[in-house]
Amino acid sequence: MAAPKAYELRTKNKAELTKQLEELKQELASLKVQKVAGGSAGKLTKISAVRKSIARVMTVITQTQRAQLRLFYQKKNFLPLDLRVKKTRAIRRRLTKHEASVKTVKQQKKDIHFPLRKYAVKA
Amino acid sequence: MTKAAPSDKNKALAAKKAALKGVNGQKARKIRTSTTFNRPKTLKLARSPKYARKSVPHVPRLDQYKVLKTPLNTESAMKKIEENNTLVFIVDVKSNKRQIKDALKKMYDVTALKVNTLIRPDGNKKAYIKLTADVDALDVANKIGFI
Repeated sequence: MAAPKAYELRTKNKAELTKQLEELKQELASLKVQKVAGGSAGKLTKISAVRKSIARVMTVITQTQRAQLRLFYQKKNFLPLDLRVKKTRAIRRRLTKHEASVKTVKQQKKDIHFPLRKYAVKA
Repeated sequence: MTKAAPSDKNKALAAKKAALKGVNGQKARKIRTSTTFNRPKTLKLARSPKYARKSVPHVPRLDQYKVLKTPLNTESAMKKIEENNTLVFIVDVKSNKRQIKDALKKMYDVTALKVNTLIRPDGNKKAYIKLTADVDALDVANKIGFI
């Protein structure tokens, strides 16, 4: 199998990916048993490769899942909390750019009629 | 007393009643047969959230691959295999005996008769898994591959 590549995994569908995940997990289990029974050096180095492959498959699964969910929630009013923007708690509670820039009509008129003038002194 | 088209007399009587008794009418008082006051039952609405808090529930975190970590093949573990028909496994600390039994069934298709667990001083959990009499622990250990 020579360690699946991420871009190859993305072409697969959910069922195939879960099946591949199962196979990788079984391989990992057997490798761990062989480690206990005194496996060869080749087997032992393979363990890390298999662990990373499992991580790769899980990453692809969750990435595609979340992308699909965002599509699903695009038209809706409320997003689930883990799909919302994370940033920091304080930043999420700030006024939005639009909310901060809103001016009263009175202020707008003042700005138009009495803008800040810039002067220069002729040399 | 004729009631055709509220006559002045009827209006006057109605006004008198309204002035004396008030216009809200009398509510019948509930009869209380016990001295205990119990909280009246009110409406309990079921939840209907506007959005799911978590977009998608997590896959079960402690699957059979996570429960059984490795078998043990120390001298005392081998003694257990030969004499007591039990396998000795290092299992995840969060797993319980029922989960260990199910995991063994799923991974190696062996039924456990009983499971004894202990937590080792180094923090891992050790499980002594006694197999049913119809299977031989030595055969199973060979099949698994750790003899």
